Order: sequence, then C-alpha cells, then structure tokens
Amino acid sequence: MTRNTNITRRRFGALAGAIGAGVLAAGVAPRAFAASHADMIRIGWVGPRSGPLGIFGEADAWLTDTFAARHAEGIEIGGKTYGVEVILVDTQSDPVRASQETRNLINGQSPDIVISSSTPETTNPVADACEAAGVPSITTIAPWESFFFGRGGKPGERSFKWTYHFSFGAGDFAPLYADGWSKIDTNRKVGMLVPNDADGNAIRAGLIPALEAAGFEVFDAGPYENMTADFSNQINYFKQSGVDIINAFPFPPDFPVFWRQAAQLGLAQQVRIMQMAKAGLFAAEMEALGTLGYGLCTGAYWHRDFPTTSPATGLSSAELAQGFEAAIGKQWTQQAGAQAALLDVTLAALVASGNPNDKAAVAAALDTLTTETAVGTVDFARGPMPGIATTPLVNCQWVKSESGPHDFALDITANALAPDVPISADLKPYRIGG
Amino acid sequence: MTTRYRLGGLSRLDTTLMAAGAVLLALLLVLPLVASPLVVDKLTLLMIYVLLAVSWNLLAGFAGLVSVGQQTFVGLSGYFVLRLVEAGIAPLPALAAGSAAVLVVAWPLSWIVLRLRAAEFAVAMWVIAETIRSLVMFDPLVQGETGRSLMTLNAMDADLRRTIVLLAAVLAVSVALVTSYRLLRGRLGGESQAIRDDEEAAGSIGIDTLRVKRTIFLVSALGCTVAGSLWLASAITYQPRTAFGINWSVFMLFMVLVGGLGSFTGPVIGALLLFAIQEVFGDYGSWYLAGLGVVAILFALYAPGGVVGLITGRSLREPLSMRKTLVAPRG
Repeated sequence: MTRNTNITRRRFGALAGAIGAGVLAAGVAPRAFAASHADMIRIGWVGPRSGPLGIFGEADAWLTDTFAARHAEGIEIGGKTYGVEVILVDTQSDPVRASQETRNLINGQSPDIVISSSTPETTNPVADACEAAGVPSITTIAPWESFFFGRGGKPGERSFKWTYHFSFGAGDFAPLYADGWSKIDTNRKVGMLVPNDADGNAIRAGLIPALEAAGFEVFDAGPYENMTADFSNQINYFKQSGVDIINAFPFPPDFPVFWRQAAQLGLAQQVRIMQMAKAGLFAAEMEALGTLGYGLCTGAYWHRDFPTTSPATGLSSAELAQGFEAAIGKQWTQQAGAQAALLDVTLAALVASGNPNDKAAVAAALDTLTTETAVGTVDFARGPMPGIATTPLVNCQWVKSESGPHDFALDITANALAPDVPISADLKPYRIGG
Repeated sequence: MTTRYRLGGLSRLDTTLMAAGAVLLALLLVLPLVASPLVVDKLTLLMIYVLLAVSWNLLAGFAGLVSVGQQTFVGLSGYFVLRLVEAGIAPLPALAAGSAAVLVVAWPLSWIVLRLRAAEFAVAMWVIAETIRSLVMFDPLVQGETGRSLMTLNAMDADLRRTIVLLAAVLAVSVALVTSYRLLRGRLGGESQAIRDDEEAAGSIGIDTLRVKRTIFLVSALGCTVAGSLWLASAITYQPRTAFGINWSVFMLFMVLVGGLGSFTGPVIGALLLFAIQEVFGDYGSWYLAGLGVVAILFALYAPGGVVGLITGRSLREPLSMRKTLVAPRG
C-alpha cells in the first residue's frame, strides 16, 4: 500500500481552495418574501422537490410565489400587519434528510409554523421533528392512518401536541369503490392485487371485508413483495376467477409491469374496471404506459373541476390547473390543488390564532379550525382523531384526451364522498387502446 | 555482541495530538451550555459519524474485514429501543439497553460470518442486513415501510434532550477512541494487523484468528449500535428502510477510505470531511451523492492512504500509528 500519489500536497491544497470558492458561489435555500414588516410570519415548507417523489413538489415554488404575490401588502391578524416569508426546504425524497433538514430549519430559521406534504416518508419525520422541537406543523397527502398510527398515536387520546394532519384515509376506499364500480354492469367479482407492505396489510385487513360487506365477491391474489418482476401467478388466478374488476395497491413502479403482463396474458382483455390506488396519480405515469393506460381508474384528492377556491392563493380550481400548466409547462397534477390547500389551512390557522408568532396560540387555533380549501372543507373539530381532519376522494378515469394538447385527460366518474364535485363523464368499461 | 532493540514509544507529536483531542472532547462536553440548538444538533451528527467511522475502520482497517452490512447494527439498535419503550421502559434507559441488546444478535452472528473470507464476508453482511430488515418489517409495531416514532422522548424538554444526546455522543466517541487505542496498541492490535496482512500466516504462528476477529467484530458492532441509538434519539422517527439503509455503509466506507484506512486518526478526519461536504453540497441531492462516489474513487486510485497518507507522505511518521516500530539503542 505504498503507491506513489500523483496529487501532491500543494496541488491538493489548490484543489481544496477551488472547491471552497465554488462553495461560496452556491446558492442558499430559495425563499419568497411577501413583504418586509417589523412583524414577520415565517413559514417553513419541507417537501420532496427532487428525487423519486419530486413530482409531488413540482407546484411548490410556483404556489409559494403566487401566495407571496397575493399577500405582498402583508397579512392583517389581530390588528397588526405581518410580512410573510416562506422558506422552501427540499427533502430530496429522503426521510433521513427530511428529519435533519426540519431540525436545521427549526434551529436555524425559527419558523412560526412548519408545513409538509406527500407520503408518510415525508410527513412523519417532519412532524416528529416539529413535535420534538415544540413547533406547530400541518401536513397533508398521506393517509391519515399512516400518519396517526405510524407515529404511535393512540385512538381517542390527544397523542400529539404540536402536529396536525389533514388528508384522505384508507377507510374512504370502500365507499368510494362501492359507488364507483356500480356505474357499469359487472359480475361484482373483484381481484385484489395487494403487496406485503404497510399500506397493503392495512388494506387487506380493512378494505377486503368492507367490499365483501358491500356485496362484492373478492379474490385476493395474496401478499407479494414490492419490485416483483413476474405477476403471471396473480394474473392466471384472476383469469381463472373470472373477475370483472381488479383493484391494485401497487408500489407505483410495479404497476406498468403488472399491467403489461396482464395485456400479454389476456387478462386486460377480460377486465371491465381496472382500479388503481397509490399508482396512477400522475399523467406522466399514464404516458409511460401508452395506449394501455386509456381507461384506467384512480382515486383523486383534487381535480381541476372541483367547485372550490383556494383562499391563500385566490385561485379557483380551474385557475390553479391553468396556472400550474402555464408556470411549470406540464399538464396539471392533483398536487396543484393539494398543495394550495396546505397553504389555505396554514393561512387560516395563522389568522385564527390572533398572534401568529405565538406557537401555542397557533396550535390552539388548529385544534378547532374549520376552513374552506382547494380540496374542500377541512374541519379539525370533527376529525376522526384529535389533530386529524379528513378530506374526500372522487373516483376518476384516465381517458384519451380529445382536445389535446396532452395525451391523457382525467374524467371524474364517481363522487359519493364529495357530492359537490360534478361528475364529468360516465365510466367506460376498460378496453385496450381506449 | 547483541543489540537490544525495544518497541518505539509515543512521539512528541503523538502526545500533543492526544492532549489536543482530550481538550477538544472536554470542550464539547461544556459546549451545550453556550451553543445554539443548531450547533448542538449538528455536533451530535458529527459525533455519530465519527463513531461509525471509527467502528468501521476497526473492522476493515485493522482486521481486514470489509463489511457492507454494518447498518444491521444501526437498524437493530433502533428496533430494540422501540420494542423496549413499547414494553414500558423509560426512553433513556431503553436507548442504552437497546444498544447492548444488539450484542445478543451480533455474538452468534460472528460465529457464522467470521468463517467467511473477504468478498464472501462483505456480501454475507449485506445479505444479513437485508434479511434482518425484512424480519423487522414483519413486526406490526414497525408497520412495514411506515415505521414508528419514538414519541415518548418528546415528553422531555427539547433543550434538555438535545444536551443529553450530545453529551452521550461525546462520551461514546471518547470511549470508542480510548478503547480502540488501547486495544490496538496492545496485543490484539498486533494480532489483528497480522491477520489483516495474511490470515494463514497469522494462524500458523499461533494466533487464535477467530477469537481476535470476533473481539474486533463485536467492538465494531457495539460502536454501530450506539451510533444507531444516538441517531434515533436525535431523529425520533424510525423507518426500517432508512435505519437498515445501505447509505450507512456508503458513508462509513467513504469516511474511512478518504480519511485513511488503517490509520487511527484517518476516520476522525474522514468524518469531519463528510460532515463538511454534506453541509456544503448536501443541497445538490443526487449530484452530491455522485460527487461523494467520485471523491472516494479518486482517493482509492491516487491516494490509497487517504488524507492521513497524503499528510505523512512517505516518511511513515504517521500520527498515532498502530505500527510497531523497533528502535535501535543509541551508540
């Protein structure tokens, strides 16, 4: 181990100097100032903006700018006008980094409130860090059961002092599907494709009995490991069972694998409804599937046709979708509305607190907060657990876009959980190629 | 006439370094009194890195056991802590007991894996890490991917908890440094380095290779478990994919390779470097990870001795060296 090195100490020093200079040029975390006042409200927004979950955070920077522009004159609370500063922090889709960055944010920037969104891998570490530091936090877009029970919450007890969550829940799927699948004639035989992971096991224990109670005959293909390459066993089982409906809760990258094999083995030709959950949230996933994607069904927590307006940004749902497409240059996603709703709840909590710089007052306001948001009414007073509020799902179908410019359009086909949301199209039986 | 050789002692540089290290660690102990929470949090992370690097270097640098599965112990200690807390034990004792409990797994494990050589050992350790992760994920308490939070820690005042965790981390690093120094300067150091250089030859001159390797393996495992407990105490969130993540091994490998494999000071320098790089370039996401890889490759190719090797050059006057040197009497 005595090889001569080609980097001498002096050259190494020069190299280190060059790296140091590069460091100084590197930027700091992006932030948006709404106004500079003597009194400031600082909102820390931690979320995935790069990495595998980056698509969930696409709208964040644009929404922050929109929010800041709308409140450029400051926000009046309790007779005082406060300037607003939003500090965006990227988790890089990494739970470890989510936890670390939240602590750094709290210790370094002393935010009045921390908000976060998208998947338990993001919301749970962020909320834990806030709970530990005594900073109020609001999170969304992760089934509330994963948030509450995953963090050790006990039913009926006030388990968390500082952390609040609003989202759809795993319990919503049964009524959503029972309604959505009744729109066309089927033999009411459902094939379940559910992996052996946390969500999967919760679904197996909760959803399957609920569907059976609703009059469906359920054929469970059994637990399988995520990132499976061969689904032929499950596909053959579904074919033999003669199911008209398939309900899959796959790890998102697994779904195209399953569905391509289903088309090759003749299952896709037999099925009338292909219902996805977890997968199929984004048009980008459908575009990757190509013609096999037309006609797939997915639940949605927001849609551009929602008859709602986001108070924090001042935009209606249609305007949110248009604004997203104009600012990002891509087709709108459900995240445009979901993230706007996060800002809506945040703003409402700060206003209701009477003193946004008082963390205890903000948390107390959240305990009973009821507010209108882009995803509908969020009501913490009525929540299934203390500190939890639920929001509805609608059932949707990806169809071939008739007007363009994008390949896929998302139709709302069932609205039992959100009767205010208009149905935009009838459910069509699945057919390869649309 | 016979010349009487003796083993070389500590140089002046060595004693100065040791004194400086002791003063530094003592300063860290009083630091929470004055420093901001941000500084305390970051120093805790740095201490965890030092602990991991020292543990890995003990294994790879001195016993020649290259493992990419030390995350087994990081992840398991967190899991045991959660289980103990669930059983009703207060969080702080649980954190200590959780680390110790991992040895119950590490000890029988050592009987199997230490019979494997080189690459087989490395692969086996990784497989074991993945297997144990899968098993842990079956526990309903952990809820598969979702994980679990150590909420009971929040009952404690945030400042107090931060301070306790940092003090425990500084203490753990001090103990790790002193213990490994004493172990390596003693008989075990000579034996383990002989095994690293040629296991057959070491065995043939009467070294009980399995015993030596097992001691080192267990000490290294203990270092990783303590790091895992400290990590859980500061992060609170336990997610099996993260706790058993290969990233821990990547970081350990990076710190030791860049700092100086098989040198005593190397891992500490490597930990400082990784910490600095993370602070500065961490925002660049995957590019930062790719950068870490490139740096590690460059060091492996052009500076196999790491930073310590670059500093000492060819003089072989490595600070706090574990090499046995013979000194001829004057005259």
